[in-house]
Amino acid sequence: MISTGNDIVVLKAINIARTRQGNFYGKIISVSEKDLYDRQLAGRIPLENFVWLSWSIKESVYKYLQRITPELIFSPARIIISQILLPSDHRATGLEGRGFNDALVYKSAVTFGDHTLYSRSIISEEFIFSVVNHADHFEHTCWGIRLISSPEPAHQSEAARVFLTERLHTLFPADQLLISKSPHGYPVILKNGAQIPIPVSLAHHDHYVAYSFQLKD
Amino acid sequence: MTREETLNELKTVIAPYTMNKEMLNSINDQTDLIRDLKINSANLVDIIIDAEAKYDIEIDYDSADKMINVGSCLDVITEKLNQK
Repeated sequence: MISTGNDIVVLKAINIARTRQGNFYGKIISVSEKDLYDRQLAGRIPLENFVWLSWSIKESVYKYLQRITPELIFSPARIIISQILLPSDHRATGLEGRGFNDALVYKSAVTFGDHTLYSRSIISEEFIFSVVNHADHFEHTCWGIRLISSPEPAHQSEAARVFLTERLHTLFPADQLLISKSPHGYPVILKNGAQIPIPVSLAHHDHYVAYSFQLKD
Repeated sequence: MTREETLNELKTVIAPYTMNKEMLNSINDQTDLIRDLKINSANLVDIIIDAEAKYDIEIDYDSADKMINVGSCLDVITEKLNQK
């Protein structure tokens, strides 16, 4: 079963001072992840960005696995990031794509129980965006990020669905596709009322919305 | 502290993070923090940290995982207060 999961964190909406406090980041990252930061990443990425990068990866992992195990509970401390590779090229990535230029993004390996997943993340001045997949390649992963006019929850949800629908329409112009929700709460794509096997994930935070979907394994 | 008193204090913990202020006055055990109160998941850690400070308790990973609706939040807080 293929799946997808993505998340976005808007940096102006986070509390930097609080994020840097041990009692706060200790709820998100494990001792081994803090050690990973201290040994390999301190001085190259601010602690608050590492904490929220970790959060976005872990939330993406949760969304990916919830499609497979609907009763799953989000437990960030139990999702362990074992490796993070920083981009070698700092040019901008753009806000939509299929796959990633690996030189421009953060890459990680993540474990949760018996599952190992892989992520690609973008950190800009405005946001941190992550997508996960079960394999360490993303050429069949479509993704997008969009700035919206209002952070009101109803507007965020509608804007995310519209954004995703526009992208799907460019790929499947002949189909009437609708975004709906499964009984377990994750988004699904309907064609003529029936769910199609393209897993999709939506995310929003503050003035940004994002999507990912997986075209094939 | 009664459950109602704990609930009233919990409302002050949740208030800064909910996008659905109107619903805050009518919350009950079944009220979901994300779905009903429109709290962004990124703020759930803030609520746990603020609850720890408010009640002078420590909320471990297992307990934090349970705090998805108002009733489970009250259960966790009550359990931790009883352990003091």
